[in-house]
Amino acid sequence: MAGVSLKNVVKRFGTMEVVHGASLDVEDGEFIVFVGPSGCGKSTLLRMIAGLEDISGGEIAIGGMAVNDVEPADRGIAMVFQTYALYPHMTVERNLSFGLRMNGNDKADTARRVAKAAQILRIEELLDRRPRQLSGGQRQRVAIGRAIVREPQVFLFDEPLSNLDAELRVQMRVEIARLHAELGVTMIYVTHDQVEAMTLADRIVVLRAGRIEQIGKPLDLYDDPANQFVAGFVGSPKMNFMAAEVASVEDGRVTVALVNHGGARLTMPVENGFAVGDRITVGLRPEHFRREGEGDCDLPVKVDMAEHLGSTSYIYANTASSEQLVIEREESRSEIGMERLTVSIPAARAYLFDTSGARLR
Amino acid sequence: MRSKSASTFRRSIALHAVLVPLAIVWLFPIWMMVVFSTMPENAIFSPNIHLIPSDRFWENFLILQADTDFLRTIFVSVVVALVYTVLSVMLTSMAGWALARYSFAGKGLVLSIILGTLTLPYFVVVIPQFIMVARDFGLSNTWFALIVPPLFNSLGVLFMRQSFSMMPAELFDAARVEGVREWRIFLFVGMPLARPTLAALSIILFLASWNNYLWPLLINNRPDMMTAPVALGSLIGLTKVSWGGIMVGAVLLTAPMIAVFVLLQRHFIAGIAAGAVK
Amino acid sequence: MRMRTRAAYGFLAPYLLIFATFWVWPIIYSFYLSFLATRIQPWSFNPAVTWGRLVVDPAFLNALRNTLIILVIQVPVMIALATLLAVLLNSQLLKARGIMRFAFFAPVVVGEAAYAAVFRLMFNADFGVINKIIGSIGLPPVAWFGNPTAAMALIMMAVTWRWVGYNAIIILSGLQAIPQDVYEAATLDRVSKPRQFFFITLPLLRPIILFCVVLSIIGTMQLFAEPFLITNRGGPGQATETLGLFLYRQGFTVLNFGYASAVAYTIAALAILISLANLWLGRSAK
Repeated sequence: MAGVSLKNVVKRFGTMEVVHGASLDVEDGEFIVFVGPSGCGKSTLLRMIAGLEDISGGEIAIGGMAVNDVEPADRGIAMVFQTYALYPHMTVERNLSFGLRMNGNDKADTARRVAKAAQILRIEELLDRRPRQLSGGQRQRVAIGRAIVREPQVFLFDEPLSNLDAELRVQMRVEIARLHAELGVTMIYVTHDQVEAMTLADRIVVLRAGRIEQIGKPLDLYDDPANQFVAGFVGSPKMNFMAAEVASVEDGRVTVALVNHGGARLTMPVENGFAVGDRITVGLRPEHFRREGEGDCDLPVKVDMAEHLGSTSYIYANTASSEQLVIEREESRSEIGMERLTVSIPAARAYLFDTSGARLR
Repeated sequence: MRSKSASTFRRSIALHAVLVPLAIVWLFPIWMMVVFSTMPENAIFSPNIHLIPSDRFWENFLILQADTDFLRTIFVSVVVALVYTVLSVMLTSMAGWALARYSFAGKGLVLSIILGTLTLPYFVVVIPQFIMVARDFGLSNTWFALIVPPLFNSLGVLFMRQSFSMMPAELFDAARVEGVREWRIFLFVGMPLARPTLAALSIILFLASWNNYLWPLLINNRPDMMTAPVALGSLIGLTKVSWGGIMVGAVLLTAPMIAVFVLLQRHFIAGIAAGAVK
Repeated sequence: MRMRTRAAYGFLAPYLLIFATFWVWPIIYSFYLSFLATRIQPWSFNPAVTWGRLVVDPAFLNALRNTLIILVIQVPVMIALATLLAVLLNSQLLKARGIMRFAFFAPVVVGEAAYAAVFRLMFNADFGVINKIIGSIGLPPVAWFGNPTAAMALIMMAVTWRWVGYNAIIILSGLQAIPQDVYEAATLDRVSKPRQFFFITLPLLRPIILFCVVLSIIGTMQLFAEPFLITNRGGPGQATETLGLFLYRQGFTVLNFGYASAVAYTIAALAILISLANLWLGRSAK
């Protein structure tokens, strides 16, 4: 059992720095998810923890021991790869036992571990097959089984579900959550899918362009994003962003004008640091729009498209302008086909960001 | 519909009208090799045309064996080709593996020397090779001289390198995370996955060694260390010689390769075509 | 990771040792040799008797001329034939595909000594089956080994027989890499089959055909076994002596290593120059 700690970890490929000083403490037994758009450095970071990439600067410790110069096999980790990386020329049983056999592990112990992993993942009947005879979901199980067999202190997952279809993905997600509960070991999981991150993680690490943007529990990130990037990345559909200008500042309150919505005014409680004329951004999640008159700022919009899903509808408004809005509403059959709609913004649910994307409170 | 099938038929006739005669012309020398090898000497040099095999193969073989110890030269050729193939496959796949799957200082240099000199004619090196092996090392008429110098061939390196670099990196990363040592990853993951390429490469190398003429001609001239092609070539130049016997030699040299070609045609063709994939 | 770099050198080292000893070093050494007078001990620096002799040696110029004649006639004929064969062998209409392929590809595995022997016997002026066939249709026999022109033709036929299949295999592999839908689209556009060949197949095959041309040029520049064995050391006289054969004589009969090295480098330089010229022409044609 072991935690993982990153201190100012830097990765350079040649002269290009792709991870700029990442620091993080993963507690023992925690499920941590690295999430971010492609190219944000999340996989590189994971591969550095695994020992597959050199660490250009800083320190990585597993179980309290610095592992910068430790070979992957000696770090007490196991890794599940995006493409599963099953050895195509070996049976499932051989795939599971390959690492142990190659390292001269006791035969009886190897057999015991393989049997146990096969039982945990319910792949006992597949042991004599070869990878190409397995379905995607089965391959995924074998890949996870190969990690379990190592009895690692830390599991590393590199986008393990991205090659599966949507239904299987949900199923395997549940499976991985169950596995974590059952084994109780530290897991670090990389994905670009924020739904996976939200459903699996104890804590999420949001990365962008080689920097950690925010670390926190899934709902904390949702409720209290540190900046505009995190606000936009977490939550689906994405948060709406509206350009605004500070119209007046009073003690503990600020009134902004939504410049693309006919200067509609919204007054919000804030701490300080605002000046009249500041350009800022107002963020509001699609599900937080209220009906006309129920919020603090009414907004008439032009409906361009609506998706009616039965219990909820998504309304895409003002698509022709530079500021498209997505509005989530409780389904109302009477609204089908309408062209105009007035919604209302509740000030308590709105977020403010400055032009650099930093959160204003 | 009718016009379409009629035009297909016409094209089919034209196709075969060109190919069948050409195929007969191309098969003719191989066929005649077999025919000659079975004919008595006086029939070969008679004014009649003989196109059907006769029954003197064994007699002709005995004549050949009396002229030169051909079985011994076949033995030399088999040993050389086998050992050369095994060694060359080992060396070139290890080198190809290193160049495909690792980054290290000097890799670019090694690759550019290999690629830059790939098309240089063999004649450029044959004289120094000869001076080195025959004079400096004093190794004429040895197994070493026959087998080792031709191992420089770099096509195999490029062939294996390409095969290894097309394999997904995660496969080897997975093994690394499991603590499998590098040479075992090569041996137990990389090599088994390269099996089709290895088959093609082995066939091409074996063929090249089996048919190699110039280098064995230069370096080994003692009868007991001659390869079969050199022995056969040395008979061709003589004035008083049994042509039936020579043809038996030609058949013995050719038949095994034809068999390999027929049995392993796909790998064989892949090996030759690979020359163009670079 | 440092361990892994060491592993890489470990994998590379054995081959590199052989490669350096029997390829890289000889390339350098042979260049050095080409400036030495090697007929008298000790060897001394004297490019006049190597490079200087090249331009005035009639035997060398004869070998060069013969090689270039073969190059200019045999290579284009063979490549055109190989392309035709590849296209025909790739046809969906072909019957007995296995036998057809065997007929053209089998010569690739036949060794030089073996096929030289058969060709010598087949083309024997008095008893050869070729002259018997020529005679049976009422034509006079050809002195294949006595007439210089006939001997050259014989060498070219032999080389073409041996190598056309090899080139056809390479071109065929290129042909099969052309996606079928290109032809389907062309058929829908009412492009006739012959036009498809000239306007789709050939342009797409051009790189691979050029590759074959370059290979054949390098091979022809080194032509040795055929004139050595079939026409009996470049006969009649020196009529089929090639650069390869000339080098063999200078290097290994006369043991004039310096001069032979100069010849070797000339062969290499010509092969590279002609290949480059071809690549350049092939590129600018479009």
